[in-house]
This record gives sequence, C-alpha cells and structure tokens, in this order.
Amino acid sequence: MSRFQGANALKRKRPGSASDALTDHDQAVLDVIRSKQDMGIYQRDIKREIHIKNGINLPDPAITKCLKSLVTKNLIKEVKNIQSRGKKHFISVDFEPSNEITGGAFYNEGSLDTEMIAQLRRLCWNHINGLQIATLEAVTEYINRTKVPKVQLSKQETAELIGALILDNEVMEVKSSGTGEFASIPVGKVCYKCISKRAHGAEPKVGAFASIPCGVCPRISYCTPDGIISPKTCVYYNKWLDF
Amino acid sequence: MVTQYGIKYAVHLITTHFGDLVAKVCECLLRRGPLTLQALVKFTELSSSQVKNSLLVLIQHNCVQAFLPEPGDHGDADKLNTQYIVLFDNIIHRWRFPKFLNIVSEKLDEQCVKLLEGLLQHGRLTLKQMSDRDRARLDQKEGEDVILDATRANLIKLLNARFVERCPAAEPVLAKPTEEESSARKRGPKSAKILEENETLEHRVMDAAAPSEALRFLLVTQTESAADGGLDESNTSSLKAGVKRKSDALESETESGAADEQVLLWRANFEEFMRRLRHEACIVNLRARLDDGAVIVLRAMLEATRSAEKKVKTEHSVPLSLNSIYEEVIKSVEGRNITFDRVRASLVQLSCPPFVKAINESYSIDFKKIIELAQSDEVESVVLKRYGSDACKMFRLLSNTGRFVETDKIADSTLIEKKETPMVLYKLWKDDYLHMEKLQLTGTRQSHFLLWKVKKNTIREHVLDEMFHAALNLNLRLAYEVEQEKELLSLSQDNRDKRLRKVKLLSQSQMKLDDAIMIFHDF
Ligand code: SF4
Repeated sequence: MSRFQGANALKRKRPGSASDALTDHDQAVLDVIRSKQDMGIYQRDIKREIHIKNGINLPDPAITKCLKSLVTKNLIKEVKNIQSRGKKHFISVDFEPSNEITGGAFYNEGSLDTEMIAQLRRLCWNHINGLQIATLEAVTEYINRTKVPKVQLSKQETAELIGALILDNEVMEVKSSGTGEFASIPVGKVCYKCISKRAHGAEPKVGAFASIPCGVCPRISYCTPDGIISPKTCVYYNKWLDF
Repeated sequence: MVTQYGIKYAVHLITTHFGDLVAKVCECLLRRGPLTLQALVKFTELSSSQVKNSLLVLIQHNCVQAFLPEPGDHGDADKLNTQYIVLFDNIIHRWRFPKFLNIVSEKLDEQCVKLLEGLLQHGRLTLKQMSDRDRARLDQKEGEDVILDATRANLIKLLNARFVERCPAAEPVLAKPTEEESSARKRGPKSAKILEENETLEHRVMDAAAPSEALRFLLVTQTESAADGGLDESNTSSLKAGVKRKSDALESETESGAADEQVLLWRANFEEFMRRLRHEACIVNLRARLDDGAVIVLRAMLEATRSAEKKVKTEHSVPLSLNSIYEEVIKSVEGRNITFDRVRASLVQLSCPPFVKAINESYSIDFKKIIELAQSDEVESVVLKRYGSDACKMFRLLSNTGRFVETDKIADSTLIEKKETPMVLYKLWKDDYLHMEKLQLTGTRQSHFLLWKVKKNTIREHVLDEMFHAALNLNLRLAYEVEQEKELLSLSQDNRDKRLRKVKLLSQSQMKLDDAIMIFHDF
C-alpha cells in the first residue's frame, strides 16, 4: 500500500462501528489519546505520536478539528495538567486523570484548592485535639467520613495534611510509649498530638528579636549608627514609638 | 561566637560605661587579639600611661585578663612580656547586671543584694572594702567590727550560693596547649580564625588564672586561721568538693586571715548567674509547649543537678532516678501535691520530643535540644514576620529535614502552590536564609532542578550578628530619646507621659532582646 493510499484509507469513514461518525483522522487521534490511559497527552505531542504510529503527517488545524469533534462526541475531555497549566492536555473519558496530572486530592482544575485544604486542616486539627493522641489511620478514617474531600483521601494524603500542620507548629509527632495516654496504641507507633496552648490558626508567640523594628527590618544591612539610615532617624522606630 | 556587630556592640557598651579612651584600648584588643602593652601603645597611638590606666579599668571590671605566655613557647622576645586578652562575654554581661541582682533578691536578703550591687559596680572588692561600703551606707553608730562581721556573714551567704567567687590570679603563666586544643584551633574557615583562636586561648588563659575549685568559694576567717583548722559551717562557706577541699583549705590557712580580708579580691560569679538564666530560659521554652506538671518536674530536676554542672554550656544534666526526682518535686511549693504517678507521666511527656532522656531508669535533661529549639523559635519568628507564613513553613521543612530538597518537593510537602514556591524560596535565599544548588541533568526534558537547604550554623551566626546590631540600635535610639527628653522638659504632662512610655518600651525590649542573644551566644 502506497503512502498516498494509506492516507486516503484513513480518511474513509468506517461504517457500522461504535464511533460511527468518526473520520479516520478522528479515530487516529482518539487511539493515540486512549493509548495514554490515565496520563492523557498534550495536544502538541499528538502530531508526533500519529506520525510514529501511522506514518502520516497531520497538519495542526486538522488535529484541532479532530479534538473538537471528539470532545463534542464526549469521547475525550480536556484536563488541566498541574505541570503546565497553559498547555492543552487531553484524556479519554474512559479514564480518570492520574494524580500526576491533577495534582491529587488537593487540586481543583489544576490549581491548589486552598479553601478545601484549610477546611481539611481544621478538621484534622479538631480531631487530633479531641482525641489528644491520634494515629494516622484514625484521622484518615474520620476525614473520609466527613465527605469534605471530593475523593477519598489515602493515608498518604492525610499525612500530607498533618505534615503541613506540623510545619505550622500546631501539631507534633510523637512515638507511642504504650503506657498512659498511649495505652491503646502499640509501642513505637508514630502518633500526632496538638501542641498545647496553641489554638488552631492562632499566631505563634512572637520572638524577642522579631518584636522590635530591627528584627523585621528589610534595610538592616544598610543601617549604620551615623549613616543615612540610622536608628536615630529610622522611620520604623518612629512608627513603632508613635503612641 | 563573636561577630562583627558583637564587637561594635561591646565597644559601644565600654564607651558609655568608661569613656572613649578605655573603649579604644578595648576595641583594639577585640579586633587584634591578645597584645602586650607596647603593642597596644603602638596600635592605639595613645600614651603608655593612658593605655595602662585603661587596662587597669578593664581588669578591675573583669573585662581584660593579663597573662604570661610560657617562656620558650615561641622564640619571639615580645611573647615573653605580659599580654592582655579581652573577655568579650564579660563585657556583654554588663547589660545583665539587673538580671543578676534580680536572681539574688529572689534567693537571699536585701543585704546580700546590696553587697552584690557593690561588687558589680566596682568589679572587684576585698572584704574590707565591702564592709567600708556597708558602713557608709548603714547606721554610723555600729562599731566597725560589728559591721565587718555582718558583711562577712553576707559574703559567706553569697559564696555558699556561688553568686560570688574569688578573683582569678592576676597574671598566670600560660601552659602549652594540649594537642586536642591546638588541633581544634586549626579547623574552621580563615575568616573566623582570629575570633576562634581567641576563644580557645581565652579558655586556656582563664583556666590557668582560675583559683582551684575548693578555694573559689572559700573564705577563711580570722578566728579560724587562729584556731586549729576548725572549719565550721556557720562561718565558712561549705563545699562539696571533698578531699581536695581539705588540702586546699589547709594550704590557705597558712595565709593570715586578717591579711586576707585586706587583699583577697572577690567578684560576682557570672558563670553561676548565667547558669541560672540558662535554666530559666529552658523553663520558659518548655512552658510554651507543655503543661504545668512537666514544667514543675523539669524545675525540680534543674534544682537537683545544678551544683553538679561544671560549665555553663553543659549538654546534659547528671542522670537522676525517678525516686530522687519525685523527692525533689515534693520539696517545692508548687510540687507538694503532685503524686508519684503524675511525675512519671510528666517524664513520659518530657521524653517526646526528648527534652529529657531516659537511660536505664534514670533521667537526664537534654539542654542542647531545648536550647536548639529555643533558637529555632526565634529564627522562625523572624522568618514569619519578614517573609510570611508560607516562607516560614518552607523554612521549617528545610530546617527540620536538614538536607537538600528540590523545589517541587517543597511545594508538595508544604501544600503550597507550585508556581509560588520558587519566588518565596528565592527571597529567603537572597537574604542568606537558605542555601541553594543547581542540579543539571542531561537527557531529561527538565534539564535543571534547584535544591534548597538550611545551614543551621550559618543562620545562627547570621541572626546573632543581626541581634547584636539590633541591640546596638536599641541602645542608640534609647540614648537619643533620653536626650530629647531633657530638651523637652517644658513639655505638657501629656507629652511627657508619652516620652516615658517610649523609654519604658525601649528598655523592656532591650532586656528581652538580651534574653534572645543569650540563647544564641551564651547558652
Ligand atoms: S534602626 Fe531602623 S533602619 Fe536600622 S535596622 Fe533598625 S529598623 Fe532598620
């Protein structure tokens, strides 16, 4: 079969199949997208893939047209890829996009869902605080029961939420000693505990250095006793001492 | 660790306390390391008598120590002359005198506070001088002997509590450094070398000058040296030094007690005060994290082990059994009602994160860990205020892991938007809070990655230098406000109140900032 005929053959419609109204070009594009399963593919890369697979060069406008028709027929969908949100990325409707594409449970439309994260963090904190000592399993189960996350959270994902609370110094990681408050938890298991005396979301106590102007001053390296910027003429001090 | 702004701050203190000449000599020693009198004259371009007088002031106030290098140590003839080494820490301690007095007023009576006040004010005094001061202060009617006895009794109280000590030898001969010390000196980057060498040398000089542990807190009274070696607890400071104490005591008995009172010099024991302030800082830090029970237990442990500590920067307290901790706890007012089980539970609480380490049923305080946490708190607070909460989270992540982490990984672990992460990291890097390395990969699509890391030691030094800078600025601003106040005496009551509030805020901030400096520099 000559290359010319091949290209023609692709153009011909396939009667009687499920993708009834698909042109051969549509089909070729759909095949490529399906073959990528839950990873999907960038629009830009489709051309190259078709060339490798079918040995033909489809011009860009033709591909755009195919994509449009496939989307209309509800065979593929466009998804936001967190890696590069500007580029068009397609996936077959037969698959749910993988976490690598969507970013996982904490992403919505390719960007971090900060509102939901804040809500989930509060839930985590409340639960740990209520239990006093909590295991990862207990928190995960609780969070999923609340149905706040749009998909079920894995233990890994809950651990990420708690990790962020730890980095905010609201929760700490402790190892079970098996006695006292840990009585119901096996020895050596990692658990979580709220840092007492700190309410969720409250500002931490400001350190001595950070509570004076120089501690937060962006110009400290230019400031000298008799220079243009000096403590005597300092505007930050003026403001601070202006009762 | 003495930083550039540390030196400026110290010089500023000396200038305000003793004037420009003394400050000039002091600065010269701070910048160049130990020098002889001749060298000082040369470098400062002051007259020999000016330098001599300045040195005398600095020595009197325990800011400089003279020493003789061991003959034959170097061929250099210059080295055989007396050298002078500046004691940076003791200069900075001058700011802490109110804190020291506070400690004494909590433990001892008003008379002792007055005695210590005199010592702080004059640097070093003999018993006779102290008693003369008391006489001038108190009712003139009392006889000289009565007052001397009272002063002596107070001094003994202060010695027993280790708040006062015998002054070091005036001009010790320096022994050769041990191998360990000299190898320690060779390490480290060149820039920090002068400062670092001074520190090890300072230790050696101070070790050589220090009175023996047994003599350090011992006052032999006139009556005793006359009577046959009868050491009585009531008028002699007691020591737990054991056998060594006896031989030292015997030795000192050959000196005449009466002469002692005229010549033996005493001074405030900064080490003990710093130790207590360090313990207090540990308690403050713990209180922010744990409940009262844990704090009471820690306090009791500190109380029980304090006297066993050999130096201020002790890493671990001596181990205590659960029983002895409990005994100590119930001695205190707050601990009286605490049960044995509560103490046990508090110890569990204290061991995760490990503020207290349990080894074979004994418990030991991990000072290093507590101080490190306090330092992190301070640095993180600055990062939070200067760069915001996302930056602080990233900083904590890197500081906790202690190794290089890639940009995207940082975004994932902190749950922060990927495209914002590099900008925040870049800001921290630009101000020296982070260390960054580029990783070039050939063959893959993304050809380079950025890796980030927190270098704790560099940051600690950086922040300490900024804190010294800030302390200097606070001082200058305070001086400026006080100056203004003088000019504005004619002001309305309202404005004067404002002035007073300003000055108060500034002085309070000074003390608080100094607490933070101690955490980085002294503890
Ligand atoms: S005195 Fe003013 S300008 Fe100088 S470091 Fe402090 S806040 Fe900044």
